[in-house]
Amino acid sequence: MSPKEEIYTRHAAKGSDRGKILAEIMNAEGKPEVLDDILVLDVSSANFAGIICASFLAEFGAEVIKIEPADGDPARQITPFGVTVKGVGIPFMFEGRNKRYMTLDIKNNPEDRKIFAKLAKKAAVVIESFPPGEMDSWGIGYRQLSVDNPGLVYIALSAYGQYTDKAKESANMPDTDITSQAGSGLPAQMGGTPNEPEPNSWPLRGGMWAGWYVSGLSAVLGGTVALIHRQNTGQGQMVDVAGMDAYSSMVGMPATIGYTWEKARPRIGVLDFILYPYGHWKCKDGFVAIAAPRDHDFRALLKILGLWEQEDDWRYSSDRIPDILEQALHLHKIIEGKTLQFTSDELVKMALNYSKRSARSKWRGGGVPIVMKLMTPEEAMKNKQWQIRKAFQEVEDEKLGKYTISANFVKMSESPPRVKWVSSEIGKDNEYISKKYLND
Amino acid sequence: MEDYFSYTAKLFNPDEANQKPEALKGIRVLDFSHVIFGPIAARLLADYGAEVIKLELPFYGDLWRPATYWGKYWKHSNPIWHNITKNKYFLSVNLQLKQSKELIYKMAEGADVVIENFAPGTADAWGIGYEKISQINPKIVFLSCSTYGQFGPMRYFPGWDLLAQGASGVLTLNGYPDTDIYYKLPDYVGDFVPGNFGALAILMALYHRKKTGKGQYIDMAQTEGLMRLLYHYTYHSVTKEAIGRTGNTDPTMMPASIFKTADDKFLALACATADQFKNFAGAIGKAEWATDPRFASTLERLKPENAKALTAMAVDWIKSKSCADIVKLADEKGFPAAEVADDYSIAYDEWRRKRGSVVLFKDDVYGNLVIAGPSAQLSGTPSRTKWLARPLGYHNRLVLKKFLGMSEEEIQDLEKKKVIGTFDDRPGLKPPVYYNLSEDPIYNYGKEVRK
Repeated sequence: MSPKEEIYTRHAAKGSDRGKILAEIMNAEGKPEVLDDILVLDVSSANFAGIICASFLAEFGAEVIKIEPADGDPARQITPFGVTVKGVGIPFMFEGRNKRYMTLDIKNNPEDRKIFAKLAKKAAVVIESFPPGEMDSWGIGYRQLSVDNPGLVYIALSAYGQYTDKAKESANMPDTDITSQAGSGLPAQMGGTPNEPEPNSWPLRGGMWAGWYVSGLSAVLGGTVALIHRQNTGQGQMVDVAGMDAYSSMVGMPATIGYTWEKARPRIGVLDFILYPYGHWKCKDGFVAIAAPRDHDFRALLKILGLWEQEDDWRYSSDRIPDILEQALHLHKIIEGKTLQFTSDELVKMALNYSKRSARSKWRGGGVPIVMKLMTPEEAMKNKQWQIRKAFQEVEDEKLGKYTISANFVKMSESPPRVKWVSSEIGKDNEYISKKYLND
Repeated sequence: MEDYFSYTAKLFNPDEANQKPEALKGIRVLDFSHVIFGPIAARLLADYGAEVIKLELPFYGDLWRPATYWGKYWKHSNPIWHNITKNKYFLSVNLQLKQSKELIYKMAEGADVVIENFAPGTADAWGIGYEKISQINPKIVFLSCSTYGQFGPMRYFPGWDLLAQGASGVLTLNGYPDTDIYYKLPDYVGDFVPGNFGALAILMALYHRKKTGKGQYIDMAQTEGLMRLLYHYTYHSVTKEAIGRTGNTDPTMMPASIFKTADDKFLALACATADQFKNFAGAIGKAEWATDPRFASTLERLKPENAKALTAMAVDWIKSKSCADIVKLADEKGFPAAEVADDYSIAYDEWRRKRGSVVLFKDDVYGNLVIAGPSAQLSGTPSRTKWLARPLGYHNRLVLKKFLGMSEEEIQDLEKKKVIGTFDDRPGLKPPVYYNLSEDPIYNYGKEVRK
């Protein structure tokens, strides 16, 4: 894009047109939407995994109706420090993408359940997060809805899933992000080493909704597989996501390591259990992330930092894997001694200058040590890369005003996802929905 | 009416899963990718029935083949790589030779999906990028994976999961406030989450292709995938402030922390709603909390000063009870609580085995291995495991004979010219030393083997 674009690969396209052409191809405006023939009913309650799953379908063009009681989904109040705009919490605003809002109290009102069942006849997807079996006991579960609508894809979210004895025994336990993280083992791998003072040595919570977003993503992926099967055969099915295992199943490592090693990994602080150096270091003006895990990357890093005398130290020549914590921390300190002498910009430049030469020479072994300034979310928003890629979008809610969201999470040349509008008002589309779907 | 859980037990019965139809049967995928991000997108498609042909360089193979936890191998393979690359066909082709490219072009004619995650520009420079492949097969769905995307001034920056976590802001959210220590999210979430996004985009493109007949190009940047998970940007745009690090407390619910119990276990407990809080307060004999003006309303409870007071009271109660007692109470009364699971408990918990989220898989080459099941269970077209990872070049014969109709003589000629190849003696690439490949009917596909 810029004429002074830095090239760190041997294979950059000739001329700088490729970037410009791609940026144009990936423009969403006027493009068809994949799911424009799909109606989704989201009756999830106090569960962002459901809301997130619905958002993804809405971004790909589905008509998504968020159904909630007149006092609103309690998820509206799940918000950092209780901050709201006119009563609407920040995460609910963030996920309020391309949705319709309808009020029905299916939990308490049997009449409303009938209206829901009528809508569900026309729906391709239902998303719910009530205790397993509750929708079924109201006569509007998958078992009943699929009689009139065999093509229905029914996505259920819960803590322990819809089947097994455990699911039955723990059916009343609601699903939240932090319990999903814990049940899936994420915090067990985060936090300080065992010899650090409490609570640093405790398992640490991931500082964003790793549980709920992984559940929501799992649900939409499973749901889309089901939609493809429906497209091919007309058959629907049930999709069951359990917060207590979604993360551990997505990353897969805990089960296999627990079995082959016959114990759990200890917490190793800022180190990584496979790659090294692979983490972040303090520098003059903040922190840098450094990844130089391959042998040639590591050696390049030593050269850049003026640490070449460490190269033939037995501890690093072939075994930088931090299974001996002391040894790994020793090298960590040595590297820190150097990074502290430079600013993040200087370190980034040093690494990139080396990599550029490395990419063009076949004698340097291709070592590419990667150094990057650690960004907070707030700093990331200002980065030009994401402005050009439209990763952030300023949106305006009729009632709540303007705010910024991250959007356009994947670029597609023919049928990209997009955010057309945001809204959050309870019951806003009651009339529209009854005219469009309930008139017959 | 039949009990709900006996109905669902039949609907999802893991014993019958392998006989059910596969949603992506007939979809053929060429997987040029390596490490985790691209391979996971391809594996998810394979789990649902797609034929995924993974291409690797002879004698090198995927960079991640030998990258196991703390250098620990299992039967001369990398145990965690079995999860990342199961259900695929392993073809080893030397990309630098003209004849190899002809092979790839021939495969591209019949393929539906291509996945690559080289540095942006590399696939095109090698003549296997979207530009070339879409000329051969205009209906192709082509996914390019990278850290910063295929366009924009940072596109040529190299990256890993760590850099995506660093560039999106995810990394700076983990840790305790007022300290100078941050932690990255573990287990390469920064690869697995974008890998799932990549697979989602491919599925959407396949759905679109069925309707319109059109293929397309997909540009998935792992940093943007992680950005989609942060409402922190919206918080900043509304309040001009940052959420920052909040240690073990989730600032969106109250209480919501990881606590230590009387028996020195770690437990996450949360109340996301007024109802859940009422259940919790009642369960611990503090029903009056639910009417305390500081705590009764969810938004009041979340205010930092009230949250602090309530967390302190929760800490006191939790450290007087055993973990199992609290979880039992939570089940009965309906509030969220869970012990912090670890590798060992995840591998051995009975409920996970019964659910199929952890599976003891019996493999023809490697024998028994515990691997993760899918993160979403489908009743009609479930994800399944058919085989684990394989040594480098294991399916050369099968792919070339079955999918490309080549003869044994042609294949031997390719071997002689080093167009295709297999493993060397390094663990991660080779089969278990005691495994006799000469008797393996798949490795020797189309040849007579003695058993």
